Amino acid sequence: MTATDTPPAGAASASPPRLAHHRESRWYPYALIAPTMITLTVVALIPFLYMGYISLHEARYGQLRDFIWFQNFATLLADPRFWNSMWVALVFVCIAVPIEFMLGLIGALLLSQKIRFRNVLIPLLFIPSMMAPIIVGLVWKTMLAGSWGFVSYNILENFGILKETSIFASPDLALYGIIFVDIWEWTPFMMLTFFAGMQALPVNPYWAAAVDGANPVQIFFKLTLPMLAPLLFVIGLLRLIDAFKVYDTIFILTNGGPGTATESPSVLGYKYTFDFWNIGQSSALAVVIWLIFFIFCNIFYQVAKKRLNVF
Amino acid sequence: MNATVTAPLPAPKTKPKRRYSPTFTLLVICYAILILFPVFWMWLLAFKPETVMFARPTVWLFEPTLDHFRYLIDNGFHHYLINSIIVSGLSTLLVIVLGTPAAYAFARYKMKGRDDLFLFVLATRMAPPVCLVIPFYLIYSKLGMLDTYAGLVIVYLTFNLSFYVWVLSSFCRDLPLELEEAAMTDGYSRLGAFLKVLLPLLRPGITATAVLCFIFAWNEFMYAFLLGGQNVKTLPVAIPSLITTQGVRWGEMAIIGMVGTIPVMIVVFVLQRHIVRGLTMGAVKG
Repeated sequence: MTATDTPPAGAASASPPRLAHHRESRWYPYALIAPTMITLTVVALIPFLYMGYISLHEARYGQLRDFIWFQNFATLLADPRFWNSMWVALVFVCIAVPIEFMLGLIGALLLSQKIRFRNVLIPLLFIPSMMAPIIVGLVWKTMLAGSWGFVSYNILENFGILKETSIFASPDLALYGIIFVDIWEWTPFMMLTFFAGMQALPVNPYWAAAVDGANPVQIFFKLTLPMLAPLLFVIGLLRLIDAFKVYDTIFILTNGGPGTATESPSVLGYKYTFDFWNIGQSSALAVVIWLIFFIFCNIFYQVAKKRLNVF
Repeated sequence: MNATVTAPLPAPKTKPKRRYSPTFTLLVICYAILILFPVFWMWLLAFKPETVMFARPTVWLFEPTLDHFRYLIDNGFHHYLINSIIVSGLSTLLVIVLGTPAAYAFARYKMKGRDDLFLFVLATRMAPPVCLVIPFYLIYSKLGMLDTYAGLVIVYLTFNLSFYVWVLSSFCRDLPLELEEAAMTDGYSRLGAFLKVLLPLLRPGITATAVLCFIFAWNEFMYAFLLGGQNVKTLPVAIPSLITTQGVRWGEMAIIGMVGTIPVMIVVFVLQRHIVRGLTMGAVKG
């Protein structure tokens, strides 16, 4: 064991090998986390509190004016664009995440079969999820570009849809185009995490099931799915949180357009800040988004801690 | 250790030799090709001459051109590549220094308030960038830190530090407790045991997590776009700047997309086992 390499001279008497050790250094763990906690306080908590402070002010063009209590929130909740953005996020999350989830599960089952070249295929499948979202957007901008994009010209036009125009220019279809891109980007991630989870399941129940003569469908629904459930929940939630804050792909593909068809909360926040220069309003929006997040985040943590025993 | 997720697999007793299924293998290969074709198509654009780029029907055979590369070099786009490397590298280094002790402490000690503190760390990670970019923009403009390396390096801590602490913590929990006690029995101080015994064992975990941090910083767009400027433009920010008034420079964009993807591909191949763990905040042990 490495521990026996070079004990410092004369130290044997200094530290008795007892667990009592843990009691005397009550401040030691706090000292270890201090740099991180201080940094996160400065770079996250203080900006966040400052944002809360701005949200209670009339603030435009980077200038804080009157303190107006919750008026920004009232204006926000009265703004149809806010509700539109919530709706966009809801549609986006409710369509994209379940599809990614189901495809991911099917893909993971497929990967658990006796696949050859698995060691090469797995990293290849990871590429879409690891690429910069802005590059993902760029890839699909070229694939679906009106008239010359690979998919629009060679596939879509043959079916007589979207001639000479991009899906992202259509107010009805743009959001579904973005959902499609998100599915392309994140299904491999779901697939590979589920696969990793399946690989880590205990094998004994499977042997028992094999002895009992259970068929594959029974095994999947009675064994794999229940054992995997907490993990599926955590991954699903994590994806949900990420899907809710999608920004980069939308920015490059449509920037919220046409009109407000794909204006997610993040895009709207950007527009409030840098197009309308109404930072009071955008801070209020950010506070609302953050509250939604904190609830999700708390659920994630509680479930991960209790059901997965990993935290 | 926990029972549900990482029950150690006993050596396979039932199937001593593997037989592969050609159907399923073919299916996965087809899926991989389908998934990767768009990326390949973008790489093709990087070498496609302007004349055939928009041709209908799609032109497959063409004489590759380096015009797009030339345009990028002439317009100083290689600086953006260097900026990306500097910003991602520095912020990753900072994260390792700050985060390693914290990850270890969170994994090892049941100190008072640990759960709340750990949740706070997670919450900073989960907050969407659009929430933090406004206060950062105002604070930076007051401090004159807009468009500086330090500005971006600091703002990248908001998502990478918490990520690093969470994921590395899950690596720390894998180390047997007895190891540390044995080291201290041998006369190491607590700090000595950490530095001399645990740290070397943690090195693979640290590397894997840090490399993922590098990739996240490398891929980051929103902060770089809004808090950077002419001086510290990073690679992702260069993409929208190629949508010019004279038209969209697809070939050049494709090159940036290609250059931006290469490190990601290398990482994915080298670290394939750890990526699952990283992307799930340590919830899945890949």
